[in-house]
Amino acid sequence: MRIACPHCGPRGVDEFSYLGDATLTRPASDAPEAAFADYVYFRDNPAGEHRELWQHASGCQSWLVVTRDTRTHAISQVEAARDVALARSKGAA
Amino acid sequence: MPEALIAKSPLRPHVASEVSAHGDAGVTLRERLDLRLAQISALRGREQELADAVRQAFGVELPATSKRVVSGPVAFAWAGPGRWLASSTAETDFSALPGAVSDQSDGRAVLSVSGPKARETLATLISLDLHPRAFATGDVALTHAASIAVTLWQSDDAPTYELVCFRTFAATLWRWIAHAGASRGIDAKLG
Amino acid sequence: MAQSHRLPSRGLVDRARTIGFRFDGRSYEGHAGDTLASALLANGVRLVGRSFKYHRPRGVIASGSEEPNALVELRTGARREPNTKATTVELFDGLDAQSQNRWPSLAFDLMSVNQLASPVFVAGFYYKTFMWPAKLWEKLYEPMIRRAAGLGRAAEAADPDDYEKFTAHCDLLVVGAGPAGLAAALAAGRAGARVILADEDFVLGGRLNADRRVIDGATSPDWAARAVAELESLPEVTVLRRTTVLAAYDGGVYAALERVSDHIAVPAAHQPRQRLWRIVATRAVLAAGSLERPIAFGNNDLPGVMLAGAARTYLNRYGVAPGKRAVVYASTSDAARTVLDLSAAGVEIAAVVDARGDAPALQEAAKAAKAPLILGGSIARATGWRGVSGCEIADASGRTLKMECDLVAVSGGWNPSMQLSTHLGGRPVWDDAKAAFLPGSCPPGMTVVGAAAGAFGLAQAIAAGAQAGVEAASDAGFAASAFDVPSVDPEPDVVYGRGPWRSPSTSAKAFVDLQNDVTVKDVELSAREGFVSVEHLKRYTTLGMATDQGKTANLLGLAIMADVTGRTIPQTGMTLSRPPFAPVAIGALGGAHRGKEFKPTRLPPSHFWAEEQGAVFTETGQWMRAAYFPRSGEKDWFESTMREVETVRTKVGVYDASTLGKIDIQGPDAAALLDKVYINAFASLAVGKARYGLMLREDGMAMDDGTTTRLSDTHYYMTTTTANAAAVMRHLEYAKQWLWPELDVAFASVTDQWAQYAIAGPRSREVVAALVDEGFDVSNEALPYMGATELTVCGGTRARLFRLSFSGELAYELAVPARYGDAMIRAIIKAGQPFGICPYGAEALSVMRIEKGHAAGPELNGTTAAADLGMGRMASKKKDFIGRAMAGRDGLADPARPRLVGFRPVDRSARLRSGSHLVARGAEPSAANDAGYVTSTAYSPSNGHWIGLGFLARAEERMGEIVIAHDPLRDGDIEVEVVSPVFVDPEGARLRA
Repeated sequence: MRIACPHCGPRGVDEFSYLGDATLTRPASDAPEAAFADYVYFRDNPAGEHRELWQHASGCQSWLVVTRDTRTHAISQVEAARDVALARSKGAA
Repeated sequence: MPEALIAKSPLRPHVASEVSAHGDAGVTLRERLDLRLAQISALRGREQELADAVRQAFGVELPATSKRVVSGPVAFAWAGPGRWLASSTAETDFSALPGAVSDQSDGRAVLSVSGPKARETLATLISLDLHPRAFATGDVALTHAASIAVTLWQSDDAPTYELVCFRTFAATLWRWIAHAGASRGIDAKLG
Repeated sequence: MAQSHRLPSRGLVDRARTIGFRFDGRSYEGHAGDTLASALLANGVRLVGRSFKYHRPRGVIASGSEEPNALVELRTGARREPNTKATTVELFDGLDAQSQNRWPSLAFDLMSVNQLASPVFVAGFYYKTFMWPAKLWEKLYEPMIRRAAGLGRAAEAADPDDYEKFTAHCDLLVVGAGPAGLAAALAAGRAGARVILADEDFVLGGRLNADRRVIDGATSPDWAARAVAELESLPEVTVLRRTTVLAAYDGGVYAALERVSDHIAVPAAHQPRQRLWRIVATRAVLAAGSLERPIAFGNNDLPGVMLAGAARTYLNRYGVAPGKRAVVYASTSDAARTVLDLSAAGVEIAAVVDARGDAPALQEAAKAAKAPLILGGSIARATGWRGVSGCEIADASGRTLKMECDLVAVSGGWNPSMQLSTHLGGRPVWDDAKAAFLPGSCPPGMTVVGAAAGAFGLAQAIAAGAQAGVEAASDAGFAASAFDVPSVDPEPDVVYGRGPWRSPSTSAKAFVDLQNDVTVKDVELSAREGFVSVEHLKRYTTLGMATDQGKTANLLGLAIMADVTGRTIPQTGMTLSRPPFAPVAIGALGGAHRGKEFKPTRLPPSHFWAEEQGAVFTETGQWMRAAYFPRSGEKDWFESTMREVETVRTKVGVYDASTLGKIDIQGPDAAALLDKVYINAFASLAVGKARYGLMLREDGMAMDDGTTTRLSDTHYYMTTTTANAAAVMRHLEYAKQWLWPELDVAFASVTDQWAQYAIAGPRSREVVAALVDEGFDVSNEALPYMGATELTVCGGTRARLFRLSFSGELAYELAVPARYGDAMIRAIIKAGQPFGICPYGAEALSVMRIEKGHAAGPELNGTTAAADLGMGRMASKKKDFIGRAMAGRDGLADPARPRLVGFRPVDRSARLRSGSHLVARGAEPSAANDAGYVTSTAYSPSNGHWIGLGFLARAEERMGEIVIAHDPLRDGDIEVEVVSPVFVDPEGARLRA
């Protein structure tokens, strides 16, 4: 598999390390314990499009949000995680 | 009073000091001991200030993409978004630049791989496309050589590639390049 | 007689070059350009091996990598290589091959009595025969089966050869250098595209070299040779011979194996034996051709039974007659070429059996060869002892004709070689007219052309290949001029092999999978027992599971299953192929980096000096650390370690702490970021001070610890454990980029920038004072415990000095730029000599940290929370930090959770073992009574007995209690007293001295 890092261009998957679901948002510090339990432990396992966090660990160190079809490994979008996070916090504000 | 401390290369004595090809060398491997290095990160809202300071001091534009710019003894290589690896063959002090500056003169080692078989030798370790159509003098890549993280750039059309790795990986990287170069006419010599 | 079956002319072998080789100890001669198979056939050697299960005599069936039968052991000693296909072994001077799986000799094999016991060895025999009594399995059944069956012997010595991995990028990868592949490569290559053309053969051209075809007035081998010469003249085209494309992966990545040195006795100096290619290709053209399938008939495994196309290959490419008198048995028109070529080479055609009776080309060829033609007949069985000497043919009316012959050339049609198109899950589609599975959906970027796509005609193949090449070039931005498709000799109407798939049943064994000895009867049995799905068929009978992956067998087995169950082939199913296309040596997958070079070795700055001192080293991840520094007269690590601890506790010692992860953290929000990742506060830390910090994972478990120093308002210097340096950096970037993207902070790894030495012991201040330059004050007042300062040492070398202690003694950590690390350790030792300094290693450090109750790897083991480590109260209540919420859940606050405590043996002479589990005195040692476990133990010279750290449930109530440390693995149950984990200087007076 190859991932097109928005900063470095397409690279082999061996340069990246996987974390997991990128649709989760860390609960606010005053959120109930149950919200944190959901955030830490509960994951969907979709057959199809999945937004997930990867780090270009052997490259520019950027965390990325990769949109990947779990059935075909086809990657439809790769975004810098920081941009996604900033846009999200703006949206929330 | 204790004696002054003497600097030592990260390679010596951990690699053979000389491996020479019979006949014409296809690839030359050297260490660069003449570089000062610093990692420079832009601070938020002060990106322009840093770019201006670099332009003023060194007369170059900080590259926004994976490129390396050279100005006399000084060069700036892109090292990730908002981050650069500055190098100098002179006594340049980068610490005054308005950003997060971290001395890497001892943290990193620089190996130079040059010659007609350089690209082929590196293809055993690096999975990037270094064909002239894809990668040219002035281009930079952050990648890995087998399992060693490297910053790589092409510095001339010989072609010469320079590989920057963390200091304690340098001896292994040297041996791996020398091994891959053995069938391609390696000339490896410590500085 | 030398080369009795070599034809006087014909072929691409170099008759001027004779090559000597050995097979089963006998010497033979062949020519350059031969394979081992063609050279054996040239010498009239038909019996090449014995089969896997029944030890039946076997010969050469095919002429390429699909060969199921002719497996040999190649070379000797450390280079001995079992299960090598004689059909792919290029002949070289001194080649030494052995037949395998026979005992005591190939011609007389005692194990062939397995055949007599064949009712025992039917499909599924593993599951049925040897099930009971189970205790006999290991001692009797398995050794017996392994002796009787099996394929070849692996070398016993380490592989002496080198392997290499190589990455290449291209606009177009062409798999297969037959007519379609050559045309594709030429079309794209001429346009200037970067092309890689890979073929597993050592002569390129595919069937162009095996058949007598005419292209643009030239013979087909000449046309192929000219095409290859042109390709090799194009600067952006790479032609890879002896290279099998093994697999297709996501993103246009392909794996290929180049056999760099397999065709010579020993690799040339510095050359790898094999090279594993990773090819990143924007487009790929799969032009792998097709593989012929047999028809199953009785004794169809006898040496002398050969695929019809392979017979042509031996005639036309190698100039070898595979027999003197042949019967051709086919259901295709393609076999007509075999009839004509055999006849033209002087081989007598005893009969032509047109299995369906509907192949006019076959009938005409029989006429031309003046051979009897049997329409709608079949071969009931081949006869002969160690090779074919005749066959029994049933004609359409059921009469049996006996024919003398030494060759049966058989063809049941051709299977497109589209394995690579299925590697990403593409499902082939059955084409009833062509009686073949054709590629379905292909991996992105892949086009299948020529016979691999079911376009079996030569003109068609060249045209389709050229078209795909033009498209790939234009895709890559190169305008390709039109490719002049050459004219070819006339091609007759094609009759594809649409069955029958087997002769009417006879008592003789009729094989489907020759390598795994799977017969038609086994397929029938599988159907009778209900294993009718193709996946079950495969697993029940092992059909297609041998080293050839059933390249000649799968479709036949499937078709027979369809027959037996009255279904069509598509109703019966399809087995998909998985990578690799052909077997790969583990050495090739391992590549160049093995043994000591398996991973990078990181050497701390004092390493060379430590070697000079005779230090003994220990691996910690990638690092080599000095474990201890033995002195003459010391008999083991224990004695040296005790002396080192003693020296530190009473005088002074020095330890290379450079392997600790070090991270430079700068920016206006550096403090805010640290407050997010550590449980305790760092914003409140004064400049010039260090603080111990603990970080958690979000689930509340401890992740790493270390000290962080504030160098200025916006500048911190963090240390991590050696093992977690990279993981902590990743965690920090995650927090910065994803969790709190608004924070303005930058990180730099400075692990290798600094050589950092711990100087520890009551005399350490005097040593440090002797090193620092004039004007710097290292007194307790100027630099108290947990203080930090920047200064210069040894006449101007800039340094950082920290008042930190892991050993529990008065101690400093002195950091200098790494290039001075070697000189620094020498200077420290010199300055420390008057005070009795000694270097100490990881073993002594470990003893001292256990004596002080400091948690390390065994305690930060991923299952312990801050409270478990006794650090619950360190957690700030005033801020959010990673892991805060989950650390606060009830489960982690439960006093029944094991907490960190110390242990000492009641019998002070007893030895404590880490890994022991703790149970109350008098309680049964069971999982239900498990109250915790011992994590770290050491002999404490300061206490004069063994001590331990570990986790114990309800620890606070149990101080002073005697519990049992249960160690069933080492038969050591000992009584231990529960004590504080701090065994030395609990008030911390020494480190503040």
